[in-house]
Amino acid sequence: MSTPRNPIELVDRYLEAVRFWLPKKDTQEGVVAELGDDLRSQIEEKENELGRPLGQPEVSEILKRCGPPMVVAARLGPKGYLIGPTLYPIYIFVLKMVLVWIMVPVFVFIVGPSTLASTGSWAEAFRTTLGSLWSGFFIAAGIITLVFAVIERTPAQAAIASKWDPLSLPAVKKHERKPSLAHAVCELAFSWFGLVWLLLLPKYPVLIFGPASAFLTPGPIWHRFYLPIVLFSVVGLLRSAITLAKPQRQWFPPLSHLVQTIFGMLILRFMLNAATNLPHGEWQTFVAVTDAARYSPQYLRVAALVNGSILVGMAAGWLGLSIALVVQTWALLQYVRKAARRNGQAASLEML
Amino acid sequence: MSNGTDINSEIFENLRLELRRGCLTLAVLTQLRTERYGYTLRKALAEDGLEIDEGTLYPLLRRLESQGLLVSQWREEDKRNKRFYRLSAQGEQILNLLLDEWQRISASLNKILQEA
Repeated sequence: MSTPRNPIELVDRYLEAVRFWLPKKDTQEGVVAELGDDLRSQIEEKENELGRPLGQPEVSEILKRCGPPMVVAARLGPKGYLIGPTLYPIYIFVLKMVLVWIMVPVFVFIVGPSTLASTGSWAEAFRTTLGSLWSGFFIAAGIITLVFAVIERTPAQAAIASKWDPLSLPAVKKHERKPSLAHAVCELAFSWFGLVWLLLLPKYPVLIFGPASAFLTPGPIWHRFYLPIVLFSVVGLLRSAITLAKPQRQWFPPLSHLVQTIFGMLILRFMLNAATNLPHGEWQTFVAVTDAARYSPQYLRVAALVNGSILVGMAAGWLGLSIALVVQTWALLQYVRKAARRNGQAASLEML
Repeated sequence: MSNGTDINSEIFENLRLELRRGCLTLAVLTQLRTERYGYTLRKALAEDGLEIDEGTLYPLLRRLESQGLLVSQWREEDKRNKRFYRLSAQGEQILNLLLDEWQRISASLNKILQEA
């Protein structure tokens, strides 16, 4: 880069650099002309004071005081932001929801096992899933940012600030545990992935058996109970969604938990009955060995072990749900008692 | 120790800038009761003890102009094009309201400081 012979040329170079960083063509000329006049006025005043023209170091000193061209352009140019303060909290919320609560479980529970099924190698599946998750993060974050940047530039974001109504805010319940947003979001995300996982099972048994899907196949009992189990999962998903969407309905979580527990117990009860209600102490198996592996004692041993584990697991699950039923009934009764007391107090106040 | 001093000076600098921001608008509007261009305005403010850099003054002038409080005109003076600013009629009204507000704030603050 050549050194300017005339110190004033240094000012022109400086102004050109500022112009480069100014965003809008229509504002550039005015801003640069005004800044140029200011700088030249400073130089002239200094020259009048000293009674001689300024040298390069002195002009350079004035420009240094003014600041680097990029910084000066940022200060002089129009101020703007990609996502403003109104939308920013919603943007962060959506970003967290999508990246942490949707993408991570999708990759862990769906993409990972699917990749494992297709490649058959744990290391390869891990590497591919992690790589896809990493690039997926950037793509999702980019799309979300772009969508919010567009919303920021539409009248919709002004409506968010103007349309809210204080009367729609949920009532504050003192001395009671507030429903946790993170808990509700987690529950919804896991219910969703649970349902997706369940729907994928018939086509991809690897999602439940892992590498053992090569020699294990689900028993006929699952065909009878698959639909009720899917229905149970849908009920769970709806329950989580309603809990998240209507946190002010505090009666809903304890009641819906109880209903779902009863539903779950019924399914388990019928399954256990169907599995064990055979003559001569026999029982219906949950998994069977595929035709190709029928004569392998090792695979038969594994199948027996899995069947035994599932049966014990179901019995333990039924026991766990029985305990949950007692706890949830108690929680519901507590809620009803408190609500009745509150209503009684409100009625007394109204009478006064 | 020096870290604590750095933090304090940073906090002070931020609060000082916040405090100056509103005052500068008032000072600029008052100075522009007389027509001036950017450099002479900066000089006039500096002579009265309120130094303001180019990066602060020119965006402020443009904002006040876009709000209709100032009017500007490019004219040649001393063989150079200069942008002259002066207070508009609306600016005059707003300035009077702001000065009343300033007097009220100043009186309240003085009272609070005397009580403390």
